[in-house]
Amino acid sequence: MNSEKVVFAFFIVLAMTLNFGFFTGGMDNVAYHSEYELFAAIVVNLIATILKFGDRTHLGAVFLATSLVAIIQLLVAAIIWGLSEHVFETVGEEWLPIVVSLSGGAFLANITSVVLLVAETLSVRR
Amino acid sequence: MPRSILYILLRRLRSPLIALVTVYAIFIIGFVLIPGKGSGGGMTFFDAFYFVSYTGTTIGFGELSKGGVGFSPGQRAWTLVAIYATVITWLYGIGSLLTVLQDPAFKRILKHSKFSRKVKELREPFYIICGYGDTGRQLVNALSEENIRSVVIDVDEDKINELEVEDLLLPSLGLAADASRSEVLLDAGIKREWCKGVIALATNESTNLSVAITVQLLNPKARFIARADSVEMQNNILSFGANEVINPFETFADSLSLLIHSPSLYTLFEWLSGVPGDTLAEPFFIKKGHWILSGYGRFGQAVYNHLSEIGVQVRVIEPDIEKRDVPSSSVLGYATEAATLKKAGIEQAVGIIAGTNNDPDNLSTLMTATEINPNIFTIARQTQQQNAEIFKAANLDLVLQRGGAVAHKIFALIRTPLLGDFLRIAIRFKEHKANILVSRIIGIAQDETPKLWEFVIDKETTPALYNKVSIQSVVIADLLRSPRDRSRTLNALPLFLNRGKGNVMLPEDDRQLEVGDRILMCGSEDADCLMQWTTKNMNVLSYLMTGKTESSSHVAKWFNKTFGKSA
Repeated sequence: MNSEKVVFAFFIVLAMTLNFGFFTGGMDNVAYHSEYELFAAIVVNLIATILKFGDRTHLGAVFLATSLVAIIQLLVAAIIWGLSEHVFETVGEEWLPIVVSLSGGAFLANITSVVLLVAETLSVRR
Repeated sequence: MPRSILYILLRRLRSPLIALVTVYAIFIIGFVLIPGKGSGGGMTFFDAFYFVSYTGTTIGFGELSKGGVGFSPGQRAWTLVAIYATVITWLYGIGSLLTVLQDPAFKRILKHSKFSRKVKELREPFYIICGYGDTGRQLVNALSEENIRSVVIDVDEDKINELEVEDLLLPSLGLAADASRSEVLLDAGIKREWCKGVIALATNESTNLSVAITVQLLNPKARFIARADSVEMQNNILSFGANEVINPFETFADSLSLLIHSPSLYTLFEWLSGVPGDTLAEPFFIKKGHWILSGYGRFGQAVYNHLSEIGVQVRVIEPDIEKRDVPSSSVLGYATEAATLKKAGIEQAVGIIAGTNNDPDNLSTLMTATEINPNIFTIARQTQQQNAEIFKAANLDLVLQRGGAVAHKIFALIRTPLLGDFLRIAIRFKEHKANILVSRIIGIAQDETPKLWEFVIDKETTPALYNKVSIQSVVIADLLRSPRDRSRTLNALPLFLNRGKGNVMLPEDDRQLEVGDRILMCGSEDADCLMQWTTKNMNVLSYLMTGKTESSSHVAKWFNKTFGKSA
C-alpha cells in the first residue's frame, strides 16, 4: 500500500463528495446549501490541486487540469456568494442559482477526476 | 524535452502551499464557529477570511468589531493561536520559495532555459563553438568582428562567466554544459536552419569525438571543424565526416617547415589566413644551414619530423635523459645554458626553435642564443596567452602561439570554405611559382592584408550572374571589370575555381563560367563590394559585358525595340 496514493485518492474523492453534498437540493432554498460545506469543498479541492503540482506524466497533467477547473468554478461561486451578501447586500437569494450551478459544474470536473483515478487504479492490476 | 520552470517551482513548493491552505482553513472555520460578543454569533466566512488574511501577513488592522463591541474572550484566544500559526506558516512558505530560487541547480535550469529560448529566437547565421579556451576566445572575438554570431558551450562555468563579461561587438550566447550530450547541442540549435557549422575545440578529445558523431547524425549539412591533438584522433574524427580537423602541433610543424623550405609560400599563407586590415608582414629571408630545436615533446617531435622530411638538419637539445626516441645526434642538457647551446653548434646554426612548454625557459634560451650568435633566426613557442606582451617585447623573429594559430585557421575556413582546398594545393607549388603569386597579391593589396571572399553561381545569392551564365558565355575577365568604369579593372585576383570535382588554381581571364561554379577571390574591401553589385544586378552585369546601359523597365525596353537602338 502506497501512503501517497491513499492521501491523493482520499482528497480527490472527498472533494467530490463534499461538492455533491453542497450541490444537492433545490435552487431556491438556501437552507439546502450549507456554506460550511462549500468552504470545506474549496479547501479540499485546493489541497487536491496542490498535490498534483509537478506530476509530469500525461495522466498527472489531466488530473491537474480537472482539479483546476473545479477549484476555479468553486472559487467563483464563493466570491459571488460573499460579494452579493456582504458587499452589494442583495435582498432575497437571487444569486443562489448561480452559485449552485457553478458548483454543479465543479462537481462534473470532480467526477472526471474520480473516473480517471479509478481508471488508473484498474490499469495497475497490483 | 521542454523544461517548465513553473512546474519545477510548484513541485518544490507543494508542502508549504498545502500547509498554508490547511492553516488558513482551520483558522477561518474557527472564527466562524466561535461566538462573538453581544447578540450575534461568530463571524461570517467573508469576515473570517478577511481577518485571517491581515493577521497572517502581519498587517494587523486590529479587532474586527461588530457594532462597536470588540472580540469576545474566545475569539481573542483563537486569535492568539492564529497569529503564531499563520505567521510561522508564511515564513516557512517564503523561506522555501527563496531556497528554491537560490538553489544552484534551479539557477542552472533557469539559465539553460533562457539560453535555449534565446537560441530559438536567433534569426541569423550562427556557429556553435564547443570549448572556450584560448582558441575559442580568439575565434569568438574574430567572428564577432565579422558580425557572425557564435553560440558557446563549455563545461566550465567560470569560462562562460568570462564570456558574459567579455566586451564583444556582437554578444554571443553561452551555456555551461557538457557538449558531448546531444540534448545540449540540440538546445544550442544544432538542428536549426541558421546553424552554419559546429566547431569542436574542447580540451577533452572524446568530447570532440562525440560532438562529431552528433553533428554527423543530426545535421550533416552543417560544417564541422574540430581540433585534435593526435593523429589517431584526427583520423577518427575525419571518419565521421568532419570538413576539417586541425592538429595544433602538426599545424605548427607544417608552417615551420614551409617557412624554412619556402619563405614566400609561408608569407602567402599568413596573408591569406590573416585578419583583414592587418598590415602585411614582410616576407622572411632565411639562409640555408642547420637548425637547433630545444625540447622534444609533442611539439618538438612534430617539428623534428617535418623538418627532417624536407632535408633540414636539426640538432635537438633535450634535458630529460629518460626520454625515448630522441634522435641520436641530440645534445643532453638545458638549452637555457650557453654551454649546452655551444655544444649544439649555435655559432654555425642559422636558426633556433625554442619549443618547450615552458614560456620563461623558451625566452631565456632565445636570449642566450642571440647573445652568442646575433644573426640567428629566433622562433619561440608561446603556450600561455597572458605572456603575449613579454614575447612581443623580446623582439623575436617569429612567435608561434597555439590558440592563435588554430583560431586563425578556423576563422579563415569559416569565412571562405574554399580556402582549405586552395591552400592544400598551393602547398605543392614550386618556389618560383609561389613568388609570382606573392607578387601578384602584393600588387593588388597595397599594404594591408587582402580580403578573401567567395561566391557561388546560383539563383539565390548571385541572381544576375546566374541568369547571364545560363544564356550566354561569361568569362572571368567580365567580372573583374569595375562597375564604375568598365575599362578599369577591379583590385581583385581570382585564386581558385571549384566546379563539381574539378578544381582550377588561379583561373585565367578568359575562362568561361558555369552555373554552380564556386570562386574564391582575393582583393581589396572595395573590390568585394563592387563585385557583389555585379553578381546581383542584371543591368550592371550587362553594362560590364557589352558596354551599354540596358533599360530596366518594360516600357523602355519595348520603346527601344520598336524605335531602334537610340539608347
